[in-house]
This record gives sequence, C-alpha cells and structure tokens, in this order.
Amino acid sequence: MRRLTDKRLALTATCLIVGVIIIALSATTVRVGAVLALMLVVGIAGISTVTTKRLRKAHPVLTRAAVTLLVLDASLFATYFFSSITNFNLAIGAAMSIVLLGLSFLTGASGQISLGNSAFMGVGALAVAIWANHHASTPIFVTLIIAIASGAVVGLLLGLPATRLRGPYLAGMTLAFAVAFPSIVNSFSSWTGGDAGLQLPTAVSAPRWLSSIFGSHASLLTLNTVWITDITIVVTGVAFFFMANLFASRTGRAMRLVRDNDVAAELAGVSLPRARVIAFMVSSGYAALGGALWTLINNSVSPPTYSLALSITILSLVVIGGIGTLPGALIGGVIYAYSTNVISWFTAHTGINSQGNLASQLPGIIFGGLLIVTMLFAPMGIVGAARRLWAKRRLRTVA
Amino acid sequence: MDAFLTSRIISDVLEGLTNGVIYGLVALSLVLIWRSTGILNFAQGAMPMFATYIGMVVFAHKLNFWFLAAIAIVAGFAVGGITERVLVRHLYGKPELNPIVVMVGFLIVLEGVAAAIWSTTPRGLPSPFSPIDWHLGGQPFALSPFAVYEIVTALIVMTLVACLFRFTKLGLQLRASAIAPEVSRLLGVRVGRMLTLGWILATGVGTIVAVLVSSNFFTGLTPQVMDGIFAFGFIAAAVGGLDSPVGAIVAGVSMGIILQFVGDFLNSNAIIVTALIILIISLMIRPNGLFAKSTARRV
Repeated sequence: MRRLTDKRLALTATCLIVGVIIIALSATTVRVGAVLALMLVVGIAGISTVTTKRLRKAHPVLTRAAVTLLVLDASLFATYFFSSITNFNLAIGAAMSIVLLGLSFLTGASGQISLGNSAFMGVGALAVAIWANHHASTPIFVTLIIAIASGAVVGLLLGLPATRLRGPYLAGMTLAFAVAFPSIVNSFSSWTGGDAGLQLPTAVSAPRWLSSIFGSHASLLTLNTVWITDITIVVTGVAFFFMANLFASRTGRAMRLVRDNDVAAELAGVSLPRARVIAFMVSSGYAALGGALWTLINNSVSPPTYSLALSITILSLVVIGGIGTLPGALIGGVIYAYSTNVISWFTAHTGINSQGNLASQLPGIIFGGLLIVTMLFAPMGIVGAARRLWAKRRLRTVA
Repeated sequence: MDAFLTSRIISDVLEGLTNGVIYGLVALSLVLIWRSTGILNFAQGAMPMFATYIGMVVFAHKLNFWFLAAIAIVAGFAVGGITERVLVRHLYGKPELNPIVVMVGFLIVLEGVAAAIWSTTPRGLPSPFSPIDWHLGGQPFALSPFAVYEIVTALIVMTLVACLFRFTKLGLQLRASAIAPEVSRLLGVRVGRMLTLGWILATGVGTIVAVLVSSNFFTGLTPQVMDGIFAFGFIAAAVGGLDSPVGAIVAGVSMGIILQFVGDFLNSNAIIVTALIILIISLMIRPNGLFAKSTARRV
C-alpha cells in the first residue's frame, strides 16, 4: 500500500515537472504561463482525487466536483485551439446539453415527459433579452439566474395540475404549451418583439486579460467566441455538478421511487405532488438556462426557433443519449452540436438534391427515425446499451 | 340588446360550432385509440394528414372530390392498420413512456417525409361547396354551404361510430377486447385484430377531419395542417375525459364555441392561450376529465 502511494507521488511529480518545462518553453508571456500552470495543477489535482479509491468512497461530492473540474479544465484548454466555428458549435451543444439534462431528470427521476421544453427555452431566452434591453449593465451570471427563475416560475404555473396527473396528460399539456408559445409571444409583442424577436443591446465581449493571452493576432470575433464558449462550458459544468448531486440526494432517490412505484413512494412518506412539481420546475429552469445561453451566444433571440419541432428534437436527443443519465445528456448535446454539419456533409456527398425539400427535412426525419428505433430496440439509449455491454463483459471475465 | 351584438353572437356560435365539430371529431379519434389500446396517439394528426396527401395529391387527375376523399379515407384505414401492426404492436405492456415517445417520433417522421415529397407549400384542394356565407335579408349569416357540409359530415360520422359500438356485434367485440382482453380472448374474440381495427377506425375518422380541414378554402393542405387542430383536439379529449366519447364530442363542440367568442372579442392570439388555461383548470379540478367515471387504480 505504502509502495503504491510512493509510486503515485513520483508519477504526479513527474507530470508536474514535465508540464512546467513544456509551459516554460511554450509560454510567451508570464500571464500565459500562469494560466497554463493553473490549469495543469487543477488537472493533476483532479486526476489524483478521482483515481484515489478511498476518497471516491468517502467523499462522493468531492469526487463529483473533481470530475467536473477535470472536464472543465480540459474543455477550456481545448477552446484555445479550436476555430471560432467549432467553438460556436461547442457552445450551442453545451447549452443544449443543459436542456437535455433537465428533461432527462424529469423523465428519469419522476417518469414524466415534457414536450414543452422548447417553449421553456424560449422563456429563458426572452427573459435574458428583455432584461438586457432594460438593464444593460447587469452581470451575465445575474441575468442567467433571472432566466432560470423565470423558467421555474412558468414551470410552476404549468406544473400545478401536473401534481395530480398520470400517464400521457402531462405530455399532451406541455405539447399544447409548445404549440401555444408563438401566440403567447405575439400577445406580448411590445415586450418580446413578436416573431422578429429581440437583439441584445451589447454583445458579450471578452475581458482584456483574455486578449493578452491570445496575443494581438487574434481577432475580436475569435476572442468573443472563445469567451462566451468558456462561459457556457463553465455554466454547463456547474449545472451538471448540481444535477449529479441532486440525482444522488435524498430528493433524487425519492423521485426515482415516485417513478417506479408512486403508491409505494406515497406509503414511504414521499409527497407526490411536491416531488412532481419540483421535478417539473427543475426541468423547466434548466431549459430556460439553456435558452438564455443561446441568446447570449447568438446575441439575439428569435422566437420561431423555439417551436414544437425543437421540443421533439430535445426529446429525441435525450432518448438517444439515454434517459436519466448524465453522460447521456452530454452525448446528446455533442450530437446536436454536430448534427447540422454532419447532415449537410451527408447531403452534399451523397448527391441527394441539396436545395430540395428532402435536405431541409432530413434532420427531422433522422431524429424522428432514431427516436423510434432507439425506443423500440434500446430504450435506455447509447449509455444504457454501453452499460449493458460493459456488464456482460465483466460477467464473462469473472466466469 | 341591440341587433348588431345579437347577430355577432349568433355568428360566433355558428362559426364556433363548425370549428367545434372538427375538434370533437379529433378528440373522438383520440378516445377511440385510447380506449382500445391505452395509447395517446400523438401522430393522430400526422397520420391522417399523410393519408390525405396520398388520396388528394397522388390521385388528383381530374377525379372528382368525392372519389378523392374516398381514396384518402381508404389510405387512412391503411395507414392506421399498418402503423398498428408494424409500430404499435411492440409497445403494448411497455412502460407508458415508450408509446408516447415512439408516436412523437412517428409524428415528426411523417411530417418530414410529407414535406420532403410534397413540399411545404399549401395545396388548395377542390372544395365541393362554396365557402361564401349565405345572406339573409342582405345580411351575411356566418353560415356557408361548406360549413353546413362540415357539420353534417361530422354528425354522420359521430352517429356511425356510435351505432357501430352500440348496435353491432363487431362493436361489442371492440368494446369487450378493450375492457377485458383476456376474457374476450377466451370467448373467441380475435383481440389482436380488434386492436388493429380500433386504429383503422380512428385513423379513418381522423382522415375525414383532415380532408374537411384541408379542403377548406382558407387553410389548404400542408404537412403541418393538423398540428394546431391536434392540440385543440387533445385539449378537448383531455377536458372531456380520454375514456369518454360523448365527453370528447361535447368538450370539442363547446370549446369551439368558447374559443370563437374569445377570438372575436379579444384577439386571435388569445385563442390557444385560453384553450391552454381551460385545460390546466379542468385538469386541476378533475384530472381524469369532466365526463370520466372515477376509476379505482390497482396497486
């Protein structure tokens, strides 16, 4: 045991020294060196926390924090090298994965399904734009919290009847909400700008120190994209960290019981209405956060984006990734980020009429088809299938 | 009450009635599927839309409206039957989430395929009757030959469905296999066939709605033509109770009238919002619908 610790210590020290040498050779300024060194230290600390079995058993929250930090560390580091387009896609996908996580929680933890998530995204997206147009100087994180709150409040209003609903009623009701959303936006067009939407008064711009890291050759667009991508990634990390803890908490356990057997849950002292409303509010708050980030990334909000079709895309991504799993939401976000590119590449290379109807309808057809196929053949999605394969392999090695 | 207001109210009631029977029929088709297979069919708008395209667009060579409508309805039967056999059959006995998700996927696939083949441009279908309102003593009366044809068709369909379920042997078998599939199977009812038949019937009813809606001069046929109508139909079915055909029709018709008043006296954006509020309130008061018998749930 003692030997092992020594080995790890040596390994860590080697990593540190090699890293510092690389940084010293590659860093052009002290500031860049400092940032890289910080990232290195965080990375190594993260890895050593995660790989220590004793810590993993005794402090699950600490482990989750370390995993989050590690992933954040790597992603932030990567955004430095990515092109603006890749970063933009990454940001859009990361924000989407927050929405997916919300729906995944609602479905996986309370057994309910919502087709109104696009509308909740729209609520968050509009909340940010409206707030920014009245109070331009509010810090980003405050506006994001306002967006979450507005999404959760709308979720509460819609979720109230959900306390007594079973079966497909909630799905139908949220579908009606998604269909009604454009009309609601138009009813308050003096606030929301109607179908035309709103523009942010000022774009989210990168702080001075970021430009000093990138050097003078980087354009303003590149810097701003990297900055908003990094913000999105950090927010996504926080959202995932919070959700991971919620899943494992007392509330999370209670909600899984509600999903599996609501009568048993009630007998065990879980308040069904409370569990259902909380699940619905968390899900709509997460959706609003995702929509808010989309507004910040795009600098504007266009309400027609938040249509029923988007809701169905969200549902497909959750199902394809794996309902009720954290990695599933992440996978769904990545799929979403690159689906447009992949599909347009596909239409361009297979020569199906790229200007015609088929090409524009292909995303819907593919997502819908995948939704059906996944639900019929692998109801737990990619993550579920992977876990099953893993379990099988483990069984085989034991036997 | 002055004459103007009276005529406005009358015209609202009449126009609301024409919309209401449409909502009632959609709600009825949802109830048919719900009662026979326990699935809320989210593609209940898209499947008839697809059948209508097959009937009205593919065969639109100088045939008259009634032939085309008949082809569309037959296509509707086929779409319903095939869907049940190929897709839905695997979903019985699964968690209630699965059929919802699959039918939502089917909805988006059908709309996508229809738009890919026939484009999203609205198609004007031949209309058998004029959509121009009759005049009564120089005043327009808010009732056109087309509206009357809609209402009459809806009434005929409702009566036929009611007669089928109440007075025929087939209807008895359908009801039996919905209520007690095991017992019916023992008594020699081909339950599997009855379930397919339920879907065929419901999609047929839905196709009649789709033909009515899309041969309306003011809407035309688009891949998304049924989205809004499905939402209203679902709200009517949920308010009336997914178990109750009568409730579905009553709720559909009264919602049509109420919403027409809302649209006339407030604005058109308020219509769907009001419908949503009606749904939320009615679900809070009676989660199983206003007309549903309260049922004990087995633990």
